[in-house]
Amino acid sequence: MENKKKRRPGRALGTFCMNAVPVFYAATCIFPVIWLFYTTFKTQEEFSIDVLALPKSWGNLANYAYVLTQMPVLRAMWNTLRITVIVLFFVLAISFINGYFLARFRFKGKQVISVLYMSNLLIPIHAILVPIYILFVKIGLSNHWYSTILPCICMELTTAIFLVWSYVDTIPRELEEAAAIDGSSFSRTLFTILLPLLRPVLVTCGIISFFHVWNEFPFSLILFSSEKDYTLPLMLMRFKGEYFTDYPRVMTSLFVSIVPALVIYALFSQQIIKGMMAGAVKG
Amino acid sequence: MKQKKKRDTLQPGAPKTAAYLAPGLLVYGMVFLLPVLLVIVMSFFKFSSIKKFTFVGLANYERLLSDANVWVALRNNLFLVAVCLVGQIGIAFLLACLLSSKRVKGAGIYRTVIYFPVTLSAVVIGYVWRFVYDYNYGLITYFMNAIGQGDKVTPLLSQVDTVMFCVCIPMIWQYVGFHLVIILSAMTSIDKEVLEVAELDGCSGVQKARYILFPLIRPTLVVCVFLCISANMKAFDHIMTLTNGGPGNASSVLALYAYNVSFQQFNMGYGSAISVFILLVTAVLFVVSRLPGFIGKRRERTHGE
Repeated sequence: MENKKKRRPGRALGTFCMNAVPVFYAATCIFPVIWLFYTTFKTQEEFSIDVLALPKSWGNLANYAYVLTQMPVLRAMWNTLRITVIVLFFVLAISFINGYFLARFRFKGKQVISVLYMSNLLIPIHAILVPIYILFVKIGLSNHWYSTILPCICMELTTAIFLVWSYVDTIPRELEEAAAIDGSSFSRTLFTILLPLLRPVLVTCGIISFFHVWNEFPFSLILFSSEKDYTLPLMLMRFKGEYFTDYPRVMTSLFVSIVPALVIYALFSQQIIKGMMAGAVKG
Repeated sequence: MKQKKKRDTLQPGAPKTAAYLAPGLLVYGMVFLLPVLLVIVMSFFKFSSIKKFTFVGLANYERLLSDANVWVALRNNLFLVAVCLVGQIGIAFLLACLLSSKRVKGAGIYRTVIYFPVTLSAVVIGYVWRFVYDYNYGLITYFMNAIGQGDKVTPLLSQVDTVMFCVCIPMIWQYVGFHLVIILSAMTSIDKEVLEVAELDGCSGVQKARYILFPLIRPTLVVCVFLCISANMKAFDHIMTLTNGGPGNASSVLALYAYNVSFQQFNMGYGSAISVFILLVTAVLFVVSRLPGFIGKRRERTHGE
């Protein structure tokens, strides 16, 4: 408020303040990662003397050695990766077909199907943990490395289907018609003509889902009980008691666990944000 | 006529349509829709084990109404929703106004950086903020010592009167970027001429935000409010990492309490009843959040006439 009043005489000051706010906020967002990163090179003694100081030696890899060999970080990362890849494949396949049909055609039950898919947005996933657990125990799907795949697919379907839907709406149907006239079968048109056309939106869906599945926690919590199946978030949660005395070690495990997400974000941030916008507009 | 003919050439027959849609619907129906129905059914049963359960009617709901823990958790949930609505959407709106101004350069970079925490797992966020709040080695302690106020440091996460507030801050902080991206995209779709005319008429920045940006992006803000409510009603992984509901149950929320009842005490019937309660509260909040919008619209309409 005060800045606004001074605007005429002190426009430069106003501009400075307007820039300072986002700079400050952005700094708080990036700082934790930087702090985690350089703390991974510190020992517990160094950390307890000064939590913010830079490490004495940047070559101190003892924390990494400990975390990678003594903690099941790599195993958890492999579990998470395996689940993520499979979930992404099915989410993309299902949302491609469902999104395309819902956007292009009229058929019986279309309204019902779109409402059913939409209901996922209204019902918090945590409300169905108990029935999912009982269902999965009954049919023997719990406590396997693949246990969380189906719930994760369901969790991601809604957004992906609606993104594909809105994208197909922008594609003219002439291409498909031309293909049909030339004698291309329906499935051939679908997979050789439409699939490449929809690539941009599928990439967006894939990236958005990647983060959700990579970070997925509640299903892992209820469906995995043996340590060898733990995903990254669950492993981090379960090991807090044992490891929480050595802070740099905990921070190293946190840092290692976010490196893949960090890399993907650095590579695809523009697409992620664009996809977010498209998703929000449709939702 | 022509349109109709075209549709016929492209559209596959009903069996083919069904065959294509079936896998998705089957998975979705089995793992999402069926459990939603089951959770309601199960809330009327008492489970002594997964295999042994007996029908108890409304007993679980009677217990829910007289369970003090539920009301503490509900109060915390409502507090969380209220604080996060104001914090997340408020800060995001403010930042979006600043970033869409011509006087702030590099909006794209800020947007990218501020969105970053959204991509981190709640468990990681929870740990990072534990390091911020830590009584011995935390950043707050560090700064209080640095400014010579070290004796005023308190264990923030283990005091009943500060814990909920401390739990809210990380959640606000993490999701500001999410709402920022949505609000900013709505703002950039506003016709530039409208803003230029306003500037020519001598509209200040604050006036522009209040009388032009805010009304024009109201539909988007409704979406944000909606997403914010549903995100905070299901929040439990942040709290599980930060405090696990403690001290006592001072920072417990409904989802966490439902989890503890169902999977720590293995009282799955009662846990289901709490889950159904979460669904009801969420639905009520959705309706309530739409009320100001309706009233505003009606008022506008009567003004217009």
